[in-house]
Amino acid sequence: MGSTTIMNNIPNLVALLIFPAGLFLLLCGLFYEWADRKLLAQLQNRIGPRWFQPLADIIKLLAKEEVIPDGVNPTLFIGLPIIALAGGLTAALYVPIVGLLPSYGLPGDLIITIYLLSLLTLCLGLAGSNTLDRFSLVGATRTLTQLFSYEAPFMLALLGPAFVARSWQISVITTFTNNRWLILSQPLGFLVAVIALMGKLELPPFDAPEAETEIVAGALTEYSGRGLALFRLGKGVALVIGLTLIASFYLGGVTNPFLFFVKTLTLLLVVVALQALLTRLRIDQTVGLWWRYGTLLVLAQWLVTIVWHGVAT
Amino acid sequence: MMEKKIMDETFTVPIGPQHPALKEPSHFRITVDGEIVTNAVVRLGYAHRGIEKAVEGRNWIQNLYMLERICGICSHIHATAYCLGVEQLAGVEVPPRAQAIRVLTAELERIHSHFLWVGVAAHEAGFDTLFMYIWRDRETVMDLLETLSGNRVNYSVNILGGVKFDINEEQADAIRKGLDYLEERTNHYLDVVSNDAMFLQRTSGIGVMTRNQAEVLGTVGPTARASNVARDVRVEAPYGAYFDYPANIVLEERGDLTARFVVRIKELFESYRLIRLILDTLPSGDLETRMPRRIKEGETVCRVEAPRGELFYFIKSNGTDMPERIKIRTPTICNMTSVVKLVIGHQLADVPMILVGIDPCFSCNDRMVILDRSDGYKQQWTWEALRQHGIDYYHEQHS
Repeated sequence: MGSTTIMNNIPNLVALLIFPAGLFLLLCGLFYEWADRKLLAQLQNRIGPRWFQPLADIIKLLAKEEVIPDGVNPTLFIGLPIIALAGGLTAALYVPIVGLLPSYGLPGDLIITIYLLSLLTLCLGLAGSNTLDRFSLVGATRTLTQLFSYEAPFMLALLGPAFVARSWQISVITTFTNNRWLILSQPLGFLVAVIALMGKLELPPFDAPEAETEIVAGALTEYSGRGLALFRLGKGVALVIGLTLIASFYLGGVTNPFLFFVKTLTLLLVVVALQALLTRLRIDQTVGLWWRYGTLLVLAQWLVTIVWHGVAT
Repeated sequence: MMEKKIMDETFTVPIGPQHPALKEPSHFRITVDGEIVTNAVVRLGYAHRGIEKAVEGRNWIQNLYMLERICGICSHIHATAYCLGVEQLAGVEVPPRAQAIRVLTAELERIHSHFLWVGVAAHEAGFDTLFMYIWRDRETVMDLLETLSGNRVNYSVNILGGVKFDINEEQADAIRKGLDYLEERTNHYLDVVSNDAMFLQRTSGIGVMTRNQAEVLGTVGPTARASNVARDVRVEAPYGAYFDYPANIVLEERGDLTARFVVRIKELFESYRLIRLILDTLPSGDLETRMPRRIKEGETVCRVEAPRGELFYFIKSNGTDMPERIKIRTPTICNMTSVVKLVIGHQLADVPMILVGIDPCFSCNDRMVILDRSDGYKQQWTWEALRQHGIDYYHEQHS
């Protein structure tokens, strides 16, 4: 019985550990991290890292000693990075990575994906508050504050396409959006989704939670070695998933690997340009921006969409 | 020990002596309530190098090179202040061409220092693109300084009684060309710091210092001028070639961080004007005069305008080939009190910006202070006592 169970589960195991989630996604995340850093460097008149730099960083970090500081809960300290990365990798199973159909699907998996992505931020915040370091504590407070500001607009922005596709299942939505450029009918939703993704990944100008000139590395100040490596991998994975979701929902779908890379990398270019152009916001300015403009914009988008649908049908 | 600190009612964020925001060692204890700063204490002295003592054991010429190394950014102005003082004591008149070249170098140095500052301040605000671009353009003036002197920092332009090198027509043209490029870029940066909406969110209305505060706190240089205090040694008490090439003072009224940006950038235009004027009307003549090896007994005070503000030298000679005493006060120490005053009530995120707003240079300002109180208490330690104190202190900390 044992051998048949294993045989039956091989496709599942491959999907979980190698492709599309697992190993492939980790490498993909590192590649996107490199693309982000390289493009930003080019826009800022710098040379930027070589293509294998993120991978080299991860290998170096994994080989290093992980220092567990005094006064932390060791289980949480070691466990949180693993949960964060696991959340990201699990989310990938429901997303059309490389233009393939999602490995798994169930009604309402959009909500699951969004919450699995938030797990990363939540783990970051908990990891920061777990230590006694003051920079970590301030960073964790800011991380969680930021989470509450962009999360609602991000979710509403992704539910816009779900509304017109009449489904909360990602595979159904992506089938619907194939060759339908929702960016044209829901431009505000697209704008909010892209900017919220930057907030989620704590990219400039939303990098107040890890502003090095104020609080060193924020919530991750005490992390070294494996923990830091896992968190960084997690961020890379979240970047890929976020870009995939937005590209497949708003940019006419990603039905093959070519379209996938073209569309997500174009989206990344937009994100990089915004990073280069804008000055870091203070945390109060971030919150103000989201609740004063971001949420209102996406609600206006919803209103327009609903009214339009009512008129059209 | 950590837990005890957390249990306190106040939450203190230490900034420095090792911190990514500060490239130099100094320590700030910022007490915060949430994100709002309720108190700030500064502790300086981590980079005390004993230069004032060291110069007492070297002759007048050696000291020129010693003092030039107080600051890596404004090295020339330190040497100029020292030379002016020593020449005054010796009663030597420096040829006008040498004086003009000194001022020219000083203005080039001001350009490179202000460019550097705008970049650093932009980095503190989280605007790395501006940081990278302005540091790229700063290379132009660094190259000009290298063309003139052979060095990018510590140009070693001055010698006692004159300057070391001349400027030929070719170099003058290179400088003119470089200035044209820099002026064009400066116009752009002035536009960025005064109009970029996101950047203004971080600077406008932050760290406002009223004119009265600026005077009471004894601020100097661009920090004071951003609060409309007309304080510029080049204008108030001209020295060297500033008699022939008078500088105009640049003032701003608002007193916030934006004003500090605008003042420094507008001063660049003033520097461009002065340099062009000097190049066009450079007096002919010798580059140096003969200096005596021993300087006549006496004492003098010398004030010059460094890029960061007033630089003060007190020089006392006892008639030998070594100085009796040299006292230096750099502009950062004058402006430091304004930082701890201004950050209160601001957000923690604004602290690095306000600190950088004065253009601090920590290793320059660390001097030893000897208390000589009326009750006879003298803070003088023998080497043994100091060593014992170190051992006791260590035991106390680690018991």
